[in-house]
Amino acid sequence: MATERADLENEIRKLIAKIFEIEPEKITPSAHFVEDLGSDSMLALEIMAALEKKYDITIPEDQLVKMATLEQVTKLVGSLMKAKN
Amino acid sequence: MNKSDSEKVVITGIGVVSPIGIGKDAFWQGLKEGRNGIKPVTLFDTSTLNSKLAGEISDFKPEAILGDKGLRNLDRTTKLALCAAKLAMDDAVFRITEENTNDVGVVLGSTMGSVRSISEFDKSFIKGGLRAVNPALFPNTVINSPASEISIWFKIKGFNSTISSGFNSSLDALEYARNFLILRRAQAVLVGGVEELCEQTYKGCYKLGFLAGSVNGNKELCAPFDLRRNGAVLGEGSVMFLMEMHETAKRRKARAYGTVEGLGTSFDSTRTYQYNPRGTALKKAIKNALSRCNKSANEIDCIVSSANSTVIGDYSEAKIIASFYGDEKKPIVSAVKSMTGETFSAGGAFQVATGLFSINNQCVTPTINYKEHDARCPVNCVPNQSRPLSVSNVLVANSSPMGINSAVIVTNAGID
Repeated sequence: MATERADLENEIRKLIAKIFEIEPEKITPSAHFVEDLGSDSMLALEIMAALEKKYDITIPEDQLVKMATLEQVTKLVGSLMKAKN
Repeated sequence: MNKSDSEKVVITGIGVVSPIGIGKDAFWQGLKEGRNGIKPVTLFDTSTLNSKLAGEISDFKPEAILGDKGLRNLDRTTKLALCAAKLAMDDAVFRITEENTNDVGVVLGSTMGSVRSISEFDKSFIKGGLRAVNPALFPNTVINSPASEISIWFKIKGFNSTISSGFNSSLDALEYARNFLILRRAQAVLVGGVEELCEQTYKGCYKLGFLAGSVNGNKELCAPFDLRRNGAVLGEGSVMFLMEMHETAKRRKARAYGTVEGLGTSFDSTRTYQYNPRGTALKKAIKNALSRCNKSANEIDCIVSSANSTVIGDYSEAKIIASFYGDEKKPIVSAVKSMTGETFSAGGAFQVATGLFSINNQCVTPTINYKEHDARCPVNCVPNQSRPLSVSNVLVANSSPMGINSAVIVTNAGID
């Protein structure tokens, strides 16, 4: 279970790193996307769309505020995937 | 200061991304050599078409000019324009600062620049539904996106406009920029045009019968004024200029390449997507441009034509230009599109850059691929090889099958 979670986190890290155009290592689980990594609302929308496409999930709009760190995103995607299955 | 001084605008920077070279120097060298930028298309599949050539910029690497970051979601049109803008500012040794940013404007001519982005965006939705759509690609679908991205990229805070008047977009943009400067509503303007080569535009023009080789049995070639011509070959690229008032340029000791005088323009409302063989509107536009800068046709040393290898377009343009000179003098008229292909909205800016080359290098550029004389085009088209010529005033003529025709005069005024 823990490995699964770590794998998912790594996958999402790579996806986000590509969108932020930074090294994946910079995205630590608790680094804040806006405050620490310079994200903005357009990048947030892009991440959301990319996650929905990759994992075939629907992220409710109100969850966007809870997607401020890698840790939060991994948790959210994990639970949405679980709910789907 | 007299009126003409207060209205003198100069070009102090030239940025070119073209099929015959990237950067002003490479472009100018290409013009001098008569370099052929037309080649088989690699950006998309042409196997189902009779036309297979274009002025494609095969070696376009925007990251080499702009750096690696921030390019991911920008379309080709935007990247072409951004590169040309960067090259123009570098050439002018002009930097955007906190002090000047509010007084710098951007105006870009682009008409079909978002056709591919719209089409690809729609395609992703049709294929995969809403989930497949990347919201970050949506901004590319609007025509003012490339101009906006220029201001965003370089942190420019003055006016930002896009002019979409087809073949005449760049020349209209130059006039728009001039007006902002003359009205003292800007200190410097980044102005030019852009158009990318894409499958959608190429196939659209092909179906219209506009392209060389698109009619069965016709040989595909880009040969303006040549008897064998049978249609245009598309090109792509961007030319951006930094334009300033002469006095501002002088104050910052900038090099001036020349002056762009007032635009003459006229609309031909007789047909849709066909050149008017009578060339009535072009004649008015040229007359207008000459009178706006108080020059006679005889003071023009050479003409940079918009001839693009279309049968009627080249014929009517040559005929109208010749009509200003009578039988005793054959005007010197070169067609830069023989080298770059038809770059549509960027075409006028390419022609102005060519005129500035002639003024600064005392050399007239060639019309390449010229072999068979067409008596209906009574001009000296500088066949195949450039040659030295004393050049002070250049007429840029722009005829179009979409109604708008225009002309500007580029002069050596302002060069110290």
